[in-house]
This record gives sequence, C-alpha cells and structure tokens, in this order.
Amino acid sequence: MASHPLLVALWLLPLLGALLCWVFGPQLRRLSGWLVSGLVGASFVLTLLSWPAGTQSQALFSWMPGFAFGLLLDPLSLLWTLVITGVGFLIVFYAMGYMDGDRAFARFFAYMSFFVFAMLTLVLSDNFVGLLVGWGLVGLASYFLIGFWFDRPTAVAAARKAFVINVVGDVGMMFAIFLIVANVHSIGFGDAFAAAGTLGPGLLFAICVALFIAAAAKSAQIPLHTWLPDAMEGPTPVSALIHAATMVTAGVYLVARCAPLWSHSAGAQLLVGSVGGATALFGAILGCAQWDIKRILAYSTMSQIGYMIMGVGVGAYVGGVSHFLTHACFKAMLFLGAGLVIHALHDEQDVRKMGGLRKKAPLAFWAMLVGVLTISGIPPFSGFFSKDLVIYGALEHGHPWLYAVGILTAGITAYYMFRLFFVAFLGEYRGDAAATDGHHGPAWIMQAPVAILILPSAAIGGLLLYGGDASPLSRFFAPLFATAPLPAPMLSEGATSILTLAVVAVGLAVAWMRYATRTALADAPERLRRESAAMPALLTNAFYVDAAIELLFVRPSQLLGAFFGWLLDPRAIDGAVREVAHSAQWLGTLVRSFQTGLVRAYALILVLGAACFMLYFALAGGTR
Amino acid sequence: MIAFWVLAVVLLGSAVWTVSAQKPVYSVVALLLNFATLAVFYLTLSAEFLAVIQIIVYSGAILILFVFVIALLSSGVGPFSIGPDRMPKIGVPAAIVVLAALGALVYAVSSVPHAVAPATPPAGTADAFGSVADFGKALFTVQLLPFEVTALILMVAVIGVITLGGEQMQRVTPPRLQARTDRAMREAIVRAGDD
Amino acid sequence: MAVPILNYVALASVMFFIGVIGVIVRRNPLVMLMSIELIFNAANLLFIAFSRLWLQNAGHIFAFLVITVAAAEAAIGLAIVVTTFRDEKHVDVDEARALHG
Repeated sequence: MASHPLLVALWLLPLLGALLCWVFGPQLRRLSGWLVSGLVGASFVLTLLSWPAGTQSQALFSWMPGFAFGLLLDPLSLLWTLVITGVGFLIVFYAMGYMDGDRAFARFFAYMSFFVFAMLTLVLSDNFVGLLVGWGLVGLASYFLIGFWFDRPTAVAAARKAFVINVVGDVGMMFAIFLIVANVHSIGFGDAFAAAGTLGPGLLFAICVALFIAAAAKSAQIPLHTWLPDAMEGPTPVSALIHAATMVTAGVYLVARCAPLWSHSAGAQLLVGSVGGATALFGAILGCAQWDIKRILAYSTMSQIGYMIMGVGVGAYVGGVSHFLTHACFKAMLFLGAGLVIHALHDEQDVRKMGGLRKKAPLAFWAMLVGVLTISGIPPFSGFFSKDLVIYGALEHGHPWLYAVGILTAGITAYYMFRLFFVAFLGEYRGDAAATDGHHGPAWIMQAPVAILILPSAAIGGLLLYGGDASPLSRFFAPLFATAPLPAPMLSEGATSILTLAVVAVGLAVAWMRYATRTALADAPERLRRESAAMPALLTNAFYVDAAIELLFVRPSQLLGAFFGWLLDPRAIDGAVREVAHSAQWLGTLVRSFQTGLVRAYALILVLGAACFMLYFALAGGTR
Repeated sequence: MIAFWVLAVVLLGSAVWTVSAQKPVYSVVALLLNFATLAVFYLTLSAEFLAVIQIIVYSGAILILFVFVIALLSSGVGPFSIGPDRMPKIGVPAAIVVLAALGALVYAVSSVPHAVAPATPPAGTADAFGSVADFGKALFTVQLLPFEVTALILMVAVIGVITLGGEQMQRVTPPRLQARTDRAMREAIVRAGDD
Repeated sequence: MAVPILNYVALASVMFFIGVIGVIVRRNPLVMLMSIELIFNAANLLFIAFSRLWLQNAGHIFAFLVITVAAAEAAIGLAIVVTTFRDEKHVDVDEARALHG
C-alpha cells in the first residue's frame, strides 16, 4: 500500500481530470475547466503539504529484479512539481477565460490535465523507464495541444513536426537506457548513478550523448529546435504551459537529474554546455527578426532554455535550475500577457499592427513591462540573479568562451525583448480600428493569473538567490548538488554582474534609440515597414535550418516511402496475400474437378477405396 | 476336381457375358446361368439349403424383377445409349489397382497354411452340416438378431419402393375449412387492392 | 472336398473383378445393377467355401443375409431406375449428371 498517499494522489489527480473530461466532456462543458483547475490546484496544495516530509520515495511495482517502478520526491523533483502544478494551475485557470466559447472546450482541458499528469510522471519517476514513459506522453500531449485546432493545416503540420522531432529524442533516450541496462542491469536512478564511476569514459560519453539528444529534442536546442517556433500555432495557454514553463524544460531536468553521470564525463559537459550556449545566442539573434508576438517569445524561450542547458551542462546546477524557476514564472506571465493582448485585439498577433496599448490593456502593459525587465536581467528583478548564476557558473567551471557568449546573449536579449515592448505597447495604435471597437475588458479569470504572476516574476530571484552559496535555493539543493568549492576564476561574481549589466544597458539603449524615442514613435509605421523590408533573408528563414532538415532528412524519407509503396507493398506484401487467395481458389478448383456428377465415376472412387482397404488388410493384418 | 474346373469356366464365362452383352436381355440370361452354376457350387460345398435358396430367391425373384424392368423400359431390348463417354480416362490404371489388391489378397490367403477340409457325414442325416434343420436351428437361436434385422431391411425396402413409385395422394380438405380459407383469401386480396 | 481353398479364393476374386469392371464400364443402369449382383455372389461363394472349410454354419447364415439384402437393394435400385428413366428415349446413366459441380 502507499506509504506516501499524498505523493501518489498528487500524481494521479490530473489523470483523473483528464479521464473525466475525456469521457464526460459533452456533459461537463464549462465545468471541465473548473474541474481541471481544481484538480491541478489540489495537486499543488498536496505538493506543498508533502514538502515538509523531506525526500520521499514510493515504490509502485516491480517487474523484475532491477526493474522497479516508483516515485521519488527529492529537492529537484519537488521544485519541478511545484512549478508544474503551481504555474500549471494559474495557466489552466487563465485558459478557462481564454478558451471561452471554443467548440471543444472540454477536450482542451482533458488534454491539459493529461499533460500535467504526463509531466508529473516524467519528473516524479525514480527510474529511467518511467521517465521515458512520461517523456513520450508529454510529447503526445504536446501533439494534441499544438494541433488542437485541427482544421488549420498549419497547426496540424506544426504538431506533426513537433512530434517527429520529439521521436528522434525518444530514440536517443532509448539507446541511453539500453546502454545503461546492459551495463548496470537496472533502470533505477540510484543504481545507475552509483555505478557511474565504474563505467568506462567512452561508454559514459555515449550514454550522456544519447541522453542529450533526447534533451535537445525536447528542449528545442539546435539542431532539433525547428519545432518550437511552429508550435506557437497552439492556443496561447498551451504555449505558456508547455512551450515555456514546463515541457521544454524537461531536457534541463534530465541533465540535472543525471548530474552524477555528467560529472564523470568532461567531454559530455563541454558538449552540452556548448550546445546550450550556441542555442542561447542563436535564439536571441533570431528573436530580433520576428514580428509575431508569440514567435518572439518562442525564440526567447529557446534562448533562455539555452542558458539553462548551458548551466546544468557545465556543472552549475543550482544556476541552471534556478533560472528554470525564474523563467517559468516570468515566461508564463509574458505569454499570458501576450494572450491578453491578442484577446483584446481579436486575435491580432503581429506587433506591427499593435502599439498604444497602455490604455487598451493596462494590466498587460504593466505585466509585460515587469517581464521584459526581468528577462533582460535588470536588478533587482529575478532574471538578474538567476542569469548571473549561470554566466558566472560557466566561468567558474572553466569555460571562458561560454561565459562570453552568455554575456553577449544577455545584451541581445535585452535588445529584442525591449524592442517587443516598445513596438507593441508604446506610441499610437497602428492596427485596425474595428479590431478594438466595442471590445470589453477581459474577464477577471484571465487577469487574475497574470496579476498573480507579477510578484514572483519580479521578486522570486532576489528572495531565493540572494547570498550566493548560502542562499535559500542553494541550501535547498545542497543534498543533491553540493560540490567541492571551485578555484576562484579571474573575474569575481561582482565583476561579472557589472560586465553583464553594461552589455544589457547597451542593448536597451539600442532598442530605445530605434523604437522608443519621440521621433521613432512618431513615424513608427513607416520605420517598421522599412525594417521589415530590409530584414536579411538569412534571419527571416531562421538560418535555413528548416530547409536543410527538409533536404537532408524529409525528402529522402519520402522517396524511400514512395519506393516501398511502388515496389514492396503491391508486389511482395499484397502479392503474398493474393497468392494465398489464389492457392485456395486453385485447391477448390482441383477438388471441384472430382464432382463430375457421373455415377460411374463415384462408383470408381468407391472401388478404389475398397481396393485400398483390401491392400491394407492383405499386407498388414490379413494373416490374423 | 474336374467338376470344379468345369464349373469355374462356366461361372467366369457367364460372368463375362453378363457384363459385355449388348442387349440387357442377354445379360439377364447370362446372369441366370451364373446363378445356376453357383447353386451347383454350393451343392459341392455341402450347402444344400443355400443352393436352393439361391435358385428360388436370386434366380426366381430378383432376375424376374430385372426382366420386368427391362420390359418397362422399352429401350431395354434395343441397342442403347449414344451419348458420349464422359468418364475421365482413369479406367486402366484403376483396373490395375483393383487387380493388384485382389492379387495381394489371394497371396495373403495363400501364405497362411489351411487345414484340409474334413469329411462330412453323408447328406441325409438329420442335422447334418448344411441341411435345413441345421441352418434353421442356427438362424432362430444363435443368429436371431440378424434374422430380425433382415426383416427390418425388407420392410424398409418395401416402404421405399412404394414411396418411389406410388401415386400422389389427393389431399382433401374438409368443406368447412375450405370455405373459411376461401373467405380469408378473398379478404386479403381486397385489402391488398386498397393499399 | 479335395479342392484347396485357394482355388475358391482366386475364383471369387476374379468374379468380383469382372463385376467391378461391369459397374464402371457399362452405361446401362440395368447392366450395372446386374454387375453388382455378380459382386454379391462372389462374396457369397467365399462365405460358403470358408464355412465348409471350418464347418461353421455362421458363413451360411451370413450368405443368406447377403442374399436378402441383395434382393432388397435390387428392388429399390430398380424402382429408382424406373422412375428416373421411365420417359427417356435412351437409358444412359451418364445423362443423370444433375450433381455435377
């Protein structure tokens, strides 16, 4: 029986919500939103209640020796669970207002609840296979939700793309599990990490690379990132929950969880850190070229996750994980605020058609301002603390190049995020007048979560990270991530902060001069039009990564499929089935040839039978 | 011994003639000769009762039946069927197989030593082997069941023949039932006409 | 009796064989029935011969039964022939091919 009933309950409640909404959707209708919000909220409360009990593990069932499934609530999974259920609750609540009037209201909440359950399975499992199950289910939920409005071909294509790329990651994870089981003969985290020291460096590197392929696919790191911008086809709450706060951080969770494996392989750490840093820079650069408010936020997510990956990759686990926490709060708020704007402007998402929203959407204005300030890393907002931890961590663990990339990216981040804010919110309204005529303010259901998230987005970093190694968060993670003190690098933490702030200020200044000065705001439409026309094709086509993948992988697969469809399927497989039918027909024809209807023929057969009997008795038993 | 061989020749000759005669009447005559020869064979084998039964039942009843049917089917006298032979050409191999089986049987029997038939007391003594008394005693005591079953078979044969050849019986419905049925049919027709 | 039993076995076998040939080869149903009678009689001959060899009258009883059954079968067979071929011009068993598949 469950010795930790709260743990099992908080894991299963969202599943209950999903099942109820799936089965009774048509009956529940609007009630499904309240049901799922309630259940996810209840999970959050249960998580809070489970917190004081410390690390707990709950065995579920054991299939074979070495293949035991169970739940584990330790500091890492507790943090993730709090974010999933807490931020998840706020987003689901918000979605009740955002999705109001949609035909498939109940289906949406069933999927959201299913997603929460899957994500909890991922973070609460105490073994690799359970994690993989959660991994796959989360990918499935993402597919459902991206393609939620399935009568839009773009949404369907985006969902498919996301799923296929996720499958590539799943394969990586499976190979890692194969390698682990082959060498450790167990799927449990504890067993695998205990044996980490005994595995050879090559094997360890291979396992880490395979795991990282999975993490890169799920967390949209290059080169498996192409699905994330397209995933913005889903409704905004989906983008907020899955593609900002939780699912895309699964890769970060994976690397942090397998820290013992990574700490034995410097090569893997370098690889992960480099990919994270490169993605951060890449995402930031592309964010400067986007005009869709959700796409800007999508590239910023990619970039920030790059920071997190870089952090946990080089070994700065507390830095990476704390950036996850702050990012979850402010990115969710940014997306929900964007949702308020989109809703207010009747589904307008192009920032060139926005502007002057201070009066039209005041809450969104202030929330987005806070969000932009914190993501740019401006003190005393949270982003400053967590981003600095990551950047400094890179230097501490001996990666000066990644340190430089981190600082540079911080500057670019400030530029494009403030660009977003200035273009979308300041100046005169540039859109269709009819779009806002007679619009009413959004329901309190949508405003409350945004308002609630303002405080954590602003303050959580300062509260939890002030004090370096003695900060509350560091002490929280001490059992997992405590390491020997590292040699002090060239630049101290203070110097790092000043350097970063300088670069951020430069970015902000450039954005201000381009978009926020009086002259810039005055002829904004003309300037924006010129800028769109002059945008380099390289940026507009996202460095042609999509095109490259299409050429290298998609076309050959399609050709192969066509080849099989032309040759193998009709000839071999259909042919085999046809031949079976033919042989049955042939047999039938053969037997039918006996049915002549002639009495004499039948008599002949009788006689032959009798002759056989005679032969038998004569030769075998006749002498008795 | 000589008797055996002479009778054997006659037996087989008449058998061949039965099978090969063009006119069925000739086949009947040949069959009659065959049966008579068999009766003589039975006499040499001390089966007097069966010899007589052979003559009475087989030649006297069954063959007469055949003659009647030949008379009924007028083409029994004339040359017959012109239709093509539709049998598959399997005749010769089949014949060889059957011959082989028979040969094997004969061989099997020959490979077992047989006792020489003992002599029997002269016919005429009561209860001698093959006499009526001996046969009758066996038939009504030890072999009673086969006797009863035989009676059953004969009854079935009679019923079968009547069913096959009997006339159709008229089914007469009583007049009151007939009137009721007629009325119901008329009403049904009127109702159908209304739709 | 000085005739060895093997002679009777051979004789009956040959008569049996002639009867079989008659059933298969001839197309007149009456001749087919007569050939069947030949087969019966071949069997009867063997029964009687062996019963004489062993001085058992069970063989006689069985031969008697065979004669009875042959009579019944001939009666029914002839009735069938009559009803089938009563109105035919030519009595050919191959014409009765309604069960042809």
